[in-house]
Amino acid sequence: MSRTSPDRENVAVSSREAFAAWVGEAPEGRKFGQVVVRKLPSGGYEIRHASDAGSENLEVHTNPRDARDISKLTEAGEYRPLKSSPNLRRGWVLRLADDRELASAMNYLYPAAISHWYLLREGRLKTTSFRENAARQSGIYERVRYLSDEAVQNAARACCEDEVCLKKTLWDVDENTPLEMERGRGDIPCPEPCSVFISFARRVRYFEREEENTSDGNALTPGERRDLAALVEAAASGEVKMAREAEFEKPLNQRRMRYRRLTLLPKLRPEE
Amino acid sequence: MKALVIVGHGSHLNEDSSLPVYEHAERIRQSGGFDEVVECFWKEEPSMRHVLDTVESEEVCVVPAFISEGYFTQQVIPRELGLDGPVTFKDGKIVRYAGPLGTFEKMADVILERVEDLMRGKELREGRTALVLLGHGTDLNKRSSDVIYLNARRIRERGVYDIVEEAFLDQDPEVGEVVGKVEAENVILIPVFVAEGWHTRETIPEDLGLTGEVTVREDRTIFYGAPVGTHPSMASLIAARARETEHYEVVQNVS
Ligand code: SF4
Repeated sequence: MSRTSPDRENVAVSSREAFAAWVGEAPEGRKFGQVVVRKLPSGGYEIRHASDAGSENLEVHTNPRDARDISKLTEAGEYRPLKSSPNLRRGWVLRLADDRELASAMNYLYPAAISHWYLLREGRLKTTSFRENAARQSGIYERVRYLSDEAVQNAARACCEDEVCLKKTLWDVDENTPLEMERGRGDIPCPEPCSVFISFARRVRYFEREEENTSDGNALTPGERRDLAALVEAAASGEVKMAREAEFEKPLNQRRMRYRRLTLLPKLRPEE
Repeated sequence: MKALVIVGHGSHLNEDSSLPVYEHAERIRQSGGFDEVVECFWKEEPSMRHVLDTVESEEVCVVPAFISEGYFTQQVIPRELGLDGPVTFKDGKIVRYAGPLGTFEKMADVILERVEDLMRGKELREGRTALVLLGHGTDLNKRSSDVIYLNARRIRERGVYDIVEEAFLDQDPEVGEVVGKVEAENVILIPVFVAEGWHTRETIPEDLGLTGEVTVREDRTIFYGAPVGTHPSMASLIAARARETEHYEVVQNVS
């Protein structure tokens, strides 16, 4: 029987220390996701938005848990379901006393990211493929296991590339089928499909079923028609108001449109 | 070191669902008792899958911020956290898993505190007062209604109200019926939910024609409270639930 044992490595402790050391080695600071983390000459650490590198008029926070409020809403006040979306708001700086506070703040800005960063660096990050993850799903998400490999590939391109998620996608369709996509340039690894991805995959499964029920491969599916109609209407009104980030059931959702770009555009422009 | 991990449902669309979890976590942090207090969610980050990698303590207690035993507490949470029962040894940690909040004895006290907060400074009509506990209810999971019946019984036994009734959104007795027909001039309606949401903010007030905390009808006045799960004293219930697991015995594998 396995027991708690003192020789087992404590990942949370090691990653906190390794991250602080990594930051400490770079006097100009380290970029991580959309933030820059810097060790202060006076001791302690500072986190700010990378685009605020030279700014002075920033709201100063010293409580690491304020990072949760900072990361909760976008500049425009929209709720952020995915902390690795490239829409972290600007205008703040976190001044933190020590590496514990640093780790705590980082875990609100990018939950579990420093642990994954550390494990990857040590060559010990375990990844979970889409198929393994899908086999575990139950209830309304069970159907994601019926997605074809191609649909998984397209869903990942639409949902996970750097334009919409800054994590580096390390998981694959299954152990023999790698994802064919831009996996991302950033430092935050993504070891397993997240809940936003699974929710998106569930929507893509609807699309794929519509595709299966449409006899002629080049004909538009009912869903594609609806999305096009919604786009035309919105554009004609002069204001294309996008759906919220995880509102995948709405036509004007960015990830949904990214998926349509991959699967609908080839039908609309067959010659290209 | 000892950690408390509170598991919430979370949402991809708004902060209503996770807010009480964050607030209770902060209250428990302030009151001490745990070296770390960490939040995790089904639909938000950190996910249950990865939260334990962020916990430094060797002793971890997991408390689900769910009212009743059911699909989440029995299937999803153990599966996602990799738990094999009330006590799991995992990656050098001992992880104890507490039951949901609604069946806990102190739940009735939290409900009554919620009522007290609601009724402070409000005038009752002459006549009887009924307390109506509102649950979601579903045909799929009888346990979700059991919790409502259990707490109604516990409160009834205390004899504070003339009448204590159960009501549901998705099963009988249906809430509109109960609120309209219960034989009382004052009806106090308390949703036994973990968080605010679409139902508590929109469907319930709309379906019952409520105008806010107090709705005066010809024959009765309806007092509508916030969900029990957002009450500050839920934090002490969560902490008590966690402390209780310290007595969980390790079930030895006898093979
Ligand atoms: S699954 Fe995709 S969207 Fe989700 S965190 Fe990973 S890379 Fe980002």
